[in-house]
Amino acid sequence: MDPVGLSGYLTVGAVLFVCGVICMATKRNAVGVLMGVELVLNGANINFVAFSRHTALGLDGQIASLFVIVLAAAEAAVALAIVLNFYNNHLTIDVDRAVELKG
Amino acid sequence: MPSETYLQIGETLKWLLTIAWLLPLGGFLIEVFGAKWSGRKSRAAAYLAVLCIATGFVCSFIALCTWIDAEDLTFSDVWQNPLAIAAEHDDHAAGEHVTAGHGEHAHGDAAHADHGHGDAVHGEVAHAEHGAADHGHGNQPLSHTFTGTFYTLAKFGNIKVSLDYYIDGLTVLMFTMVTFIATCIHIFAIGYMSDELTEDYEDHFVHLPGGKHFHRPGRFYRFFSFLSLFCFAMLGLVLAGNIFQVFIFWELVGVCSYLLIGFYVERKSASSAANKAFIMNRVGDFGFLIGLMILWTWFGTFSFANTNPDQFGEVGLFQMVRTDDGQLDTEGAGMNRVAYMQSLHGERLEGTDGAPRAIPYWLLIVAGLGIFGGCIGKSAQFPLQTWLPDAMEGPTPVSALVHSATMVAAGVYLTGRFYPMFTPEVLLVIAYIGCITAFIGATIALVVTDIKKVLAYSTISQLGYMMLALGVGGWLAGLFHLVTHAFFKSLMFLCSGSVIHGCHHEQDMQKMGGLAPKMPITCWTMWIGVVAISGLAIPGLMLPYIGAVAFSGYHSKDAIVATALTFASKNPTHSLLFFIPLVTAGITAFYMHRMWFMTFFGKPRDQHVHDHAHESPWVMTGPLVALSIFAAICAWGGEHGPLAQLMLTSEPTHVAGGIAPSGEIGLALPSHHEIHGNHSKAGVMALLAAFIGTIVAYVFYCRQTVDPALVKDRFLSIHRFLVDKWQFDEVYDVMFVRPVHVIGKWCVGLDKFGLDAILHGLARLAIGVATWDRKFDEAVVDRVVNVFGEVTYSTGRSLTAIQTGRLRQYVMFIAAGVVCLFVVLFIFLPR
Amino acid sequence: MENLLFLIYAIAACGGAVGVALSQNVVRMAFWLVISLASVSGLFFMLGADFVGATQLLIYVGGTVVLLIFGVMLTTTGPYLAIKTNPAEMIQASVVGVAFLGVVLSTVTAVDWSGNRATLEHAGLVSRPGSYYQQGEGNTSRQIGTALLGVRFDQMEQGAAASDEAAHGHHHDGHTHADHAHGNHAHGAADHHHETISASPRVGSGYLLPFEIVSVHLLVVLIGASYLARAKRRVEQAA
Repeated sequence: MDPVGLSGYLTVGAVLFVCGVICMATKRNAVGVLMGVELVLNGANINFVAFSRHTALGLDGQIASLFVIVLAAAEAAVALAIVLNFYNNHLTIDVDRAVELKG
Repeated sequence: MPSETYLQIGETLKWLLTIAWLLPLGGFLIEVFGAKWSGRKSRAAAYLAVLCIATGFVCSFIALCTWIDAEDLTFSDVWQNPLAIAAEHDDHAAGEHVTAGHGEHAHGDAAHADHGHGDAVHGEVAHAEHGAADHGHGNQPLSHTFTGTFYTLAKFGNIKVSLDYYIDGLTVLMFTMVTFIATCIHIFAIGYMSDELTEDYEDHFVHLPGGKHFHRPGRFYRFFSFLSLFCFAMLGLVLAGNIFQVFIFWELVGVCSYLLIGFYVERKSASSAANKAFIMNRVGDFGFLIGLMILWTWFGTFSFANTNPDQFGEVGLFQMVRTDDGQLDTEGAGMNRVAYMQSLHGERLEGTDGAPRAIPYWLLIVAGLGIFGGCIGKSAQFPLQTWLPDAMEGPTPVSALVHSATMVAAGVYLTGRFYPMFTPEVLLVIAYIGCITAFIGATIALVVTDIKKVLAYSTISQLGYMMLALGVGGWLAGLFHLVTHAFFKSLMFLCSGSVIHGCHHEQDMQKMGGLAPKMPITCWTMWIGVVAISGLAIPGLMLPYIGAVAFSGYHSKDAIVATALTFASKNPTHSLLFFIPLVTAGITAFYMHRMWFMTFFGKPRDQHVHDHAHESPWVMTGPLVALSIFAAICAWGGEHGPLAQLMLTSEPTHVAGGIAPSGEIGLALPSHHEIHGNHSKAGVMALLAAFIGTIVAYVFYCRQTVDPALVKDRFLSIHRFLVDKWQFDEVYDVMFVRPVHVIGKWCVGLDKFGLDAILHGLARLAIGVATWDRKFDEAVVDRVVNVFGEVTYSTGRSLTAIQTGRLRQYVMFIAAGVVCLFVVLFIFLPR
Repeated sequence: MENLLFLIYAIAACGGAVGVALSQNVVRMAFWLVISLASVSGLFFMLGADFVGATQLLIYVGGTVVLLIFGVMLTTTGPYLAIKTNPAEMIQASVVGVAFLGVVLSTVTAVDWSGNRATLEHAGLVSRPGSYYQQGEGNTSRQIGTALLGVRFDQMEQGAAASDEAAHGHHHDGHTHADHAHGNHAHGAADHHHETISASPRVGSGYLLPFEIVSVHLLVVLIGASYLARAKRRVEQAA
């Protein structure tokens, strides 16, 4: 049996990505939305590393994924701070209650 | 003179005169811009002006001394008795040019390096012709002249326009004279203009409706700033080294004259007099401009001469026109006659094509006449003399400075300065113009009763004398009279100013009389002036070292009459040029004494004026005394005195020897020697005429043995004619003013019915087009724009429905959008 | 064995992700997320990216998820523990999600990855060989560290062995490059000498600048987050 090629990893990444998007689209809980974002980023990371392994991308792919991880952590920190603020102001974390942007 | 000494003296003179020239300009600027701080009641402006001009006088005087020193004038002639002088002239006649008097003039002039006379070198330009004729060594005209350039304004290839200086004895003398007289007049004006030192000056000559007088702030500082500007302009005119620069300052003095005549601008008479003076001068300046154009076109330079050894090779006008011995180098006859231009080396100047450069002789005449046209305007000569009497509307110090002593003399000065450029034909015109002017001025002065107008017509007459003298070949006589006249005429004007001031601005002599005890200083200083201008002397008395006992006017007028007599005897056709001046000399004595007697003697004609008359303060009488001293003695020694000798150093080379009958008109000009021969004869005649005039005036106006009114009635029509000033103003009115009025009316009609109609039609057309354009704008353009706006707005409104503000929905949209994009991509992108 | 491991990790990762998407309780979502992320790190190990996998475990599983759970604890009280999603929305989302997945997967399968690589190498557009094989499986920490400092040990300047293994088409290019680098290209027949010259790491093409930027970015985020989340005394509601 052939070793799993690039396509397998890409498929896993795609599944994670889509699940993340669905999460963002359906969760009313702000923390849930954040989790969706994490999933999306992870899906992308898998792609980076897979390409790094299986193509001429080399070490660059891994370094890109490292940056993504770091930035995701930062994003999570900031987003959680925002969520806390949101909670303080609205006494809820239901994103559907935040409709200030309605035109 | 060796070159180094020459340059050194030239530099000294240049700096001294430049300082004297520019100081009044500085004063003017400070007075104009500093007036804010000094206030209307401050005399600071006057003190500053006096300081500037007095310093200028000191500089000029030092320059004069430097000049005398450099020329090594010892005035030895004067110290000898008259017999010795006569003997000397006999020597001259014998062809002996080195006399005891000139032998000691040890000039080290390289150009005059003597061939035959190792021990004595002659440097007097006046005697240069002998040496040139006898020994043929290089006589260099203008060797006693310093020229140079201050600043080059513009340069076009070889030709340039620059600010130059031209310094010779005449320049230095004029500087000293102008600054001295100006200083006196400035000081006098401090007193005369003192009633302007107020915030609220009431002008009694301006009547407002309702019987009130016009009130305005005093203009003390303005008067002095104008005076300073005038001094700057006048000195610049004298110092100018090219004819264009002369023209610049010529116009500048004209402007100053305009400003000063119109000083009491609210008076209708003053403002129209200022306009008249300015416009009359423009007529003359038109000729000046034509002359300038001809000179520029044919000679390619404006500069008078170039004597600077550093710039050897550049040639000025005088050097081009005259050969080394001062003659015109002409060829041909009639209209084909040409005058060749000279280079500095005694050769003909070559043009670019190698052929000698020449100017048509008739163009030279036209150029000379053109330049003289300017002089006619400025010096109030016939037929442009009518502005000068009107100019008496200005304050009296102005009349004294501008309209008698300096500015009007500028025309004479320029004629003298430009003398080498004038052909005999031009000189004849000058002589006749001067003769006519002298006579007209004198006759009108007979009947005028305004004290300043008498002096004004007298000025016209005397200026005519000067022109006459220049025209008949008496270069020295004309300019001699210019200087002496400046002194005694400014003196008399200031005296009249003192009288006017003392009589509370009463100028009519018919209301004066018997003022002598009330204002003795004024009276007797004026007497000096009157005697000087009349040319009176003590007959037969000739003192050793001094010559005839007489005031300055005698000497200069004597010189003029002698020159005219000589001229008339050489050219019998033109003997009128002698008789009319002779008669005029008698008339002059008459009207001047008439004025003096009417003002100061006899019974008071108007008791009110007499009662309030008073002597002027020292600040006014002081200048009178100073000027009277100079009016008395400045010409002492006559033509052998220091003044005349000083001038002779800069006399054009060709004048002294006279000119043999030549040219189309066969005119002969007298030489110095010939004039000397006629001196005693002419002197006796002039003196006789003056005495007759004086005695008649004495009989008429002092003794009153004959009532002038009777004479007046007897010659009523002549009197009327003279009172109407020979009806010049009327003739000009008919000839020029009315036609201009008519043309003006036609122009108005054309404007109103021709141009205006076209303009109105165009305007209406524009309005119509604009109306239609507006409709188009509103109906089409605006609507299109509005539709766009509305569509955009409503689209935006309807799209707000999509923007729910719900984050999750947005994510959904994004995802769906990506999917849609991919679908589109898959479908439409070619594989 | 490798395939089996991949299968396990893949299923765990995908299952975790699906669990996150489907579960309504936020705490359970966090649990599923941990499962998914940990599996992903396993996938990283399998791909030979040891350092990245370790970082994934440390930062995501150990850091970010704990942070999320803290967030849940701080905000989610009582009624907000589980906020129900509208079933219609769920359906819509799943339709869009499936479509999206289809799009991505079709892309993945449509591309011939290995064929592409061969094509690129043949055309000379891929001049650098992959670096895994020389340095040994998975030992990437040192290389990543030096790469972040700007020195690339994974990209040797014309490693002699590497250039021999490269396609024939690149042979000359490589040599010309070497000639220029060493400055002695005047030796016409010196080809064999070059092959013995040892390779040196490329300097200057690393990630020093992005590394610094990211570090500053992290500092900014730290300050910003603490500012946003600092305990504010809330204004008394409707007071």
